Amino acid sequence: MPSVIKAENLRFAYTRVPVLEQVSFDVQMGDYVGIIGPNGGGKTTLLKLILGLEKGEGQISLFDTPLAQFKAWQKIGYLAQKSPVSQSRFPISAEEVVLMGLPNRCGSRPSVSELKQVHEAMQRTRTREYAGTIFHDLSIGQQQRVLLARAIVSNPQLLILDEPSTALDAQSREMFFDLLGELNKKHHVTILLITHDTGEVGKHISKFMYVDKTVIFFGTKKEFCHSEAVAKHLGPFAQHTIDHLHNHHGHCPLGEACEECAHDHPHLGGPHV
Amino acid sequence: MFEFLSYSFVQRGLVAGTFVAVACALLGVFLVLKRLSLIGDGMSHVCLTGVAVALLTSTSPVYMSVPIVMVASAGIMKLTQKFKIYGDAAIGIVSAAGLSIGLLLTSLAGGFNTDLLGYLFGSILTVSFSETVLCAILLMVVLACLFAFYRYLVSACFDAPFAHTRGVPVQTVNTGLVMITSVAVVLAFKVVGIFLISALLIIPPVAALLISRTFKQVLVWASAFGALSVWAGIWISFVFNIPSGAAIILVSLIILLGAYTWSKLGGVNAR
Repeated sequence: MPSVIKAENLRFAYTRVPVLEQVSFDVQMGDYVGIIGPNGGGKTTLLKLILGLEKGEGQISLFDTPLAQFKAWQKIGYLAQKSPVSQSRFPISAEEVVLMGLPNRCGSRPSVSELKQVHEAMQRTRTREYAGTIFHDLSIGQQQRVLLARAIVSNPQLLILDEPSTALDAQSREMFFDLLGELNKKHHVTILLITHDTGEVGKHISKFMYVDKTVIFFGTKKEFCHSEAVAKHLGPFAQHTIDHLHNHHGHCPLGEACEECAHDHPHLGGPHV
Repeated sequence: MFEFLSYSFVQRGLVAGTFVAVACALLGVFLVLKRLSLIGDGMSHVCLTGVAVALLTSTSPVYMSVPIVMVASAGIMKLTQKFKIYGDAAIGIVSAAGLSIGLLLTSLAGGFNTDLLGYLFGSILTVSFSETVLCAILLMVVLACLFAFYRYLVSACFDAPFAHTRGVPVQTVNTGLVMITSVAVVLAFKVVGIFLISALLIIPPVAALLISRTFKQVLVWASAFGALSVWAGIWISFVFNIPSGAAIILVSLIILLGAYTWSKLGGVNAR
């Protein structure tokens, strides 16, 4: 599988104490990676390093191109943790916000094809009805969906999302993760997602990355349950509750993998805890 | 009532004042939304250093101040980016440095004189022809940048990290914005005086933001308010024989009050 993100020996520090060190991993085309870890563990910093928003030590390549030379930003969609205008009233409509996701060019008027792409993205995130509304006047959840439309409007091959579901209600969250799942499965979009919502997202993701100052674990869900490194870091109970107990519907998201885990770890109470 | 318009120095002042006010209003929209509006205040204090150096060396205060204010602006940017100092603190540091160096040089030059007071409080009627041309060039540059890079500017202003991931050179956009503002600030000190420059950058955009629904409306209203402030301010200063700089800013404050009232009484932002 071709590499989408390759990181080697990353190190980053805001002060003298490193936030991240000895970080190496290789995300491949079609991966759906759930990044988990404690608060302050460096998850958001890691995404910022990948996007070039922070500069650290080590090597990062995007689509086999070193980050410094990478120009094909339309291949990447990004949704940050915080809404960009939480305090001030920026006079811009939801449609104009989504338009920002397309490559910038000179002039101010969007072309017909650009508007078509914008409306399609808004349709997919069910935000078309807010197209003319001032972004600031939308609820936080609606803003987040508009920002997701902005992230996917350029039909990216890689989506980088930092806790995107925090402000969403249950219905929107389900729609949100179903859309991500569809993008990953049908369109082979590689997804890198920081989340604490491990139950909902567990249905779709293919790999876990556990980050706490460094990458403690990176592998499939099945490997996660058997990882000694994770068990050592989290303890065996938490290692499995990340995937199992957080499922709000009471169904195990792992299917076969779950049965295996339950077999290995009967203290968890079986596959449908 | 409008016989003062027959004087050529008044006409020149009006034209130059309008160019500068519109340029400041357009730049101010981005500075206000980026929460950098006080950078004009910091730059204006640095103007005092430029004026003092010019008075000491008998050179043109405008031409002497442009490079000095640009260097100071670069200093503000460097302090915020490189040393991670908050923007307002960086502006405060550079502003204090500009003011103290200016006062020191003024004292070395033999204290305050009428020339300096003219720069402190504005002397729009002493604007020269070459300065008027400079004001016109400034406005043309601002408008050209706005038309050419509108989407880059709005994107970098709305969400800089995301704009970076679209390939927008956010750093270059910010530097360009601040450097053009440096020139606008220097040209504006003839119009309203060093003490009131920042008002030209802040008040018309804030009033426009109160009554506009779209970004383009903000730009149009801010420009209109800036120009109206200059015209009405100069007329009032003639009729009531008061300083033009103060009159211009008082008019802009009245416009702001009107915009606020309108927005509260059922304007677009009424909630």
